[in-house]
Amino acid sequence: MDKVRKIGDVVLSFENISLSFGGVKALTNISFDVREHEIRAIIGPNGAGKSSMLNVINGVYHPQDGEIVFRGQHRRDMNTYESAKSGIARTFQNIALFKGMSVLDNIMTGRNLKMKSNFLLDALYWGPARREEIEHRKKAEEIIDFLEIQHIRKTPVGRLPYGLQKRVELGRALAAEPSILLLDEPMAGMNVEEKQDMCRFILDVNDQLGATIVLIEHDMGVVMDISDRVVVLDYGKKIADGTPDEVRNNQNVIDAYLGVAH
Amino acid sequence: MAASSPDKVVGTLDTFPHLLLNHARVRGDRPATREKDLGIWQTWSWRQVAEETRAMACGLSALGFKRGDNLAIVGDNRPRLYWAMCAAQMLGGVPVPLYQDAVAQEMAYVLENAGIKFAIVEDQEQVDKLLEIMGNGPALNHILYDDPRGMRHYTQPYIQSLDEVIEMGRIHDRTQPDFLDGEIALGRPGDVAVMLYTSGTTGKPKGVCQTHASFITAAQSGVEFDHLGPQDDILSYLPMAWVGDHLFSYAQAMVAGFTINCPESGDTVLTDLREIGPTYYFAPPRVFENLLTTVMIRMEDASAIKRRMFHAFMAVARRCGAEILDGKPGVSAADRLLYALGNLCVYGPLRNVLGMSRIRVAYTAGAAIGPDLFRFYRSIGVNLKQLYGSTETCAAVCLQPDGEIKFDSVGKPAPGVEVRIADNGEVLVRGKMLLKEYYRRPEDTAEAIDHEGFFHTGDAGFFDEDGHLKIIDRAKDVGKLASGDLFAPNYIENKLKFVSYIKEAVAFGQGLDKVCAFINIDLGAVGNWAERRNIAYSGYTDLAQKAEVYELIRQCVEDANADLAHDPMLCASQVQRFLILHKELDPDDDELTRTRKVRRGFIGEKYRVLIDALYSEKRSQFIETQVRFEDGRSGMISADLRIMEARTTPSQAVKKAA
Amino acid sequence: MQFFFEVLIAGLLSGVMYSLVALGFVLIYKASGVFNFAQGSMVYFAALTAVGLHDKGLSLWLSVPLTMVVMVVLALLIEKIVLRPLVAQPEISLFMATIGLSFFIEGLAQAIWGANVRALDLGIEDVPLEWVLEKANMAISQFDLIAAGIATVLVATLALFFSRTKIGRALRAVADDHQAALSIGIPLQHIWGIVWSVAGFVALVAGLLWGSRNGVQFALTFVALKALPVLILGGFTSVPGAIVGGLIIGASEKLAEVFLGPYVGGGLEGWFPYVLALLFLLIRPEGLFGEKIIRRI
Repeated sequence: MDKVRKIGDVVLSFENISLSFGGVKALTNISFDVREHEIRAIIGPNGAGKSSMLNVINGVYHPQDGEIVFRGQHRRDMNTYESAKSGIARTFQNIALFKGMSVLDNIMTGRNLKMKSNFLLDALYWGPARREEIEHRKKAEEIIDFLEIQHIRKTPVGRLPYGLQKRVELGRALAAEPSILLLDEPMAGMNVEEKQDMCRFILDVNDQLGATIVLIEHDMGVVMDISDRVVVLDYGKKIADGTPDEVRNNQNVIDAYLGVAH
Repeated sequence: MAASSPDKVVGTLDTFPHLLLNHARVRGDRPATREKDLGIWQTWSWRQVAEETRAMACGLSALGFKRGDNLAIVGDNRPRLYWAMCAAQMLGGVPVPLYQDAVAQEMAYVLENAGIKFAIVEDQEQVDKLLEIMGNGPALNHILYDDPRGMRHYTQPYIQSLDEVIEMGRIHDRTQPDFLDGEIALGRPGDVAVMLYTSGTTGKPKGVCQTHASFITAAQSGVEFDHLGPQDDILSYLPMAWVGDHLFSYAQAMVAGFTINCPESGDTVLTDLREIGPTYYFAPPRVFENLLTTVMIRMEDASAIKRRMFHAFMAVARRCGAEILDGKPGVSAADRLLYALGNLCVYGPLRNVLGMSRIRVAYTAGAAIGPDLFRFYRSIGVNLKQLYGSTETCAAVCLQPDGEIKFDSVGKPAPGVEVRIADNGEVLVRGKMLLKEYYRRPEDTAEAIDHEGFFHTGDAGFFDEDGHLKIIDRAKDVGKLASGDLFAPNYIENKLKFVSYIKEAVAFGQGLDKVCAFINIDLGAVGNWAERRNIAYSGYTDLAQKAEVYELIRQCVEDANADLAHDPMLCASQVQRFLILHKELDPDDDELTRTRKVRRGFIGEKYRVLIDALYSEKRSQFIETQVRFEDGRSGMISADLRIMEARTTPSQAVKKAA
Repeated sequence: MQFFFEVLIAGLLSGVMYSLVALGFVLIYKASGVFNFAQGSMVYFAALTAVGLHDKGLSLWLSVPLTMVVMVVLALLIEKIVLRPLVAQPEISLFMATIGLSFFIEGLAQAIWGANVRALDLGIEDVPLEWVLEKANMAISQFDLIAAGIATVLVATLALFFSRTKIGRALRAVADDHQAALSIGIPLQHIWGIVWSVAGFVALVAGLLWGSRNGVQFALTFVALKALPVLILGGFTSVPGAIVGGLIIGASEKLAEVFLGPYVGGGLEGWFPYVLALLFLLIRPEGLFGEKIIRRI
């Protein structure tokens, strides 16, 4: 059952990223890179700046300092719409689904960028637009099958329990066929069984769909099992970076986690 | 029947492979199997099914599967798993379907016992389970999987995809087409067709060997009894290892040539049911109960007008619905009119929601069904009937004929079946549908089938004045209270379980001075009840110990007591003290069998302290229990359980002036 | 009985017109989750622009499309200047912005075209249909019927558009969660531009139909107030709701006026819809077709 997927070159790297809100420094001189097809985790205690980092990656926040290299392109910051267009999809810590819509419709919206038919044809729901709709529906069904959520296909998302909503959100992100998938605490608030399911899905996404995954987690345990490399943040600074084993034995990390022990 | 016919074509329809090939010939383009995949119903015609099955058989043969071998089949109801049964039979092998949710050690026993070398499984989950078993037990030579998802990195040479094997078989069948036909021709009706393991309320599971002849006879009698034909549709969603599913989804489908429909997943059954609208339906009482509970919960949330209309028309249906369905006289014209109106406004839509709009015949078996539940379905126009049988009898001993429906009987003996009641009340059965033997257990076989050829069912029952069989309990469970009164625990438990708030009950009393019971509440129904009363709770354990819930359950128990008081034989069996368990009884904890029957002995040992407390004066008892989660880990649950008294009703017949 | 049907049909026909106005609200509410206070002003602005251009000598065939262009430009400007800075702000900010917007649009309309009442003649006569009069002895206005026909086609098209197409889905997505919509690559600005343009178009049609019946005047902005009970009845988020709500309000206010009016001294038409809406709020606050709001703890 060895993994045969190949970890490739660096697709995304950050050089000395700094971000502050007013006087509060959220990120200070953060540098790390993400390689193609790897599972890259960003961990750290609460308030370490993990979510800020993720928001920098998909352009919700714009860092004051530093440089981002994305597929060989040097840039100061990212832009939400553009990053979605260039194959970065994400989920949110506090689930940002379209609550009034069904699971299927949520996943279909995820295919928005893949839809090509023009406005007028679409308005008439005619010819190519209709064929396209069927094509996308098929893709959406494959994702539903993949995530094993057939039974809630037509259920409005707002009625689902938390764990399933997280899964649907992953489905919506997958619908865009992303090359890079950002997951913001995908396992927060889940019970053991749901966590295991989620881990399995993340590994499958990485393995079968070949997506590069950047994920944030508060809880070290699960992440260490599935990540290839881990960055550890604490108070907006990088304190460690390496394989799970290296990070686990790093004194700074041990201190940081013990320091915030409950 | 087929064997006695001189007609040559009919004469050869005595094994399942012959039946399949015949359907491919006479109704090749009609749908044989459907499955919902990626949101769409896929259909295979009889011809396609025959081709796929042939290819699978040839592929299996190329891998070395041969006459007399046993083939394990593990998974949810998937078309190719059904076809695999016939593929094995074509080669003279024996399919052995296993319960897909069985834990590894249970599965290990069966694999070992049946000497399995070949397994066809649904997906990665089952492959992993088999690999775990193989680590320290029986060695399989081949594991074939249906769903390739997640299987890319399994490098073991003995793990192969079913696709590959079928492809291989296709070539094989093309190059030497006579081979398979020759193998099929070698099949005899007296050969073992399938081996079904009984879940066994005690001891290790036993492999029940059924021949082609016995299952075809059993299927034929059912098909003729209810006039089933190729136009019928059935939803196949019950475990393939259960005799009920094998009879309905395999044997009867093969005999009558109707279409089986496989749901998308276990969780989508309700939706799939609605989409397919089967004409023929089979489910254990629990499924009917769950369906009804879902409807009732939804009704509680509906608007006041809808709710009122529902209840008004349900009252009409209760009054005359079942009678109208049976075509009985004596229903007033006004009631008929009201019922017709209700059919338009309530029953019709309701049947539609339940996926029962097209049902001609529905059966339930496997456990006793509550009279209210049974009446409910019949009153809204669903022709629900009961049948009686077991794995050893191909689930075909007694059936309720149309128009002769009784709520508390299981009907009359099926054509060609002899039923006799032994002196101790045990039901004895003889007929062509009896098992050939228990696999490699001659002494068990000898014990179960007596010298006259009667099979001892282990159930206690009697015939009523109309010749209908009435089952009260397992023969060995029927005992006596200290007072000498009859004690039939299952009967009491069923009375309790017929209440929608109670999911499971275990009654004690054998050799004791009174009857006491453990109760499991139904989390869905009681949870909904609690929410409507603004009672906050955090989970099963918390809800179960609420004073309000105890009060609710006490009411239910007292109602059941009043019911028991009607029958002079059982009046002494009224439940005097009860408690609500802190956890749900679970097959994973060995408290229930896979078919969800209570393992009374095991529970008695495990919860000894609770039983002692019930028979003392205590008002509460502390308990700590180990539970096993679905992922295989275990944990502890502890709670302080209340114990409550329930009022009993004095006997109607012998009213004692206290 | 005949008279009853006559009143009922007249009511239903005017109800279609209410639906039309309500539809403008629903569209914007669905896309941005905000009650667009300026919808009435847009009706007024659109009608005034069209009739103003017509009075300048342009034919209706020219002035109406031209007005449509103006409405699109207006929509894009609103998106750029008012909405874009308010992305991901609380809904109340957006609501306040539309209040400001309504005053601005009214002022703008009057500054350009003056505040006088102008007559608008669409070339459809407001006379009873003769064959209905002959056959059934009922007076059904030809104008009402044509207006209702136009409104029906428009409503049906929009309903289909928003329920079946990707823009419809994107629209609902935007309404639910701006940030999430952006993250999956839904161009928020684009969608808002489209929705406000469509709302402008609906305002134009409503303005023309109402204006040609009652004259184009400031009172047109109050038509929007009639849409309020329609929305409460039908639900703020539902296109079919707007249609059915409009029909119910139209029919019931006319029936109430004619049959109950004499007992209370008339004038029912003005307030009856609001009472109906109020009663309805008590029974079913989310409206006939609105999404049931389920709050979990």
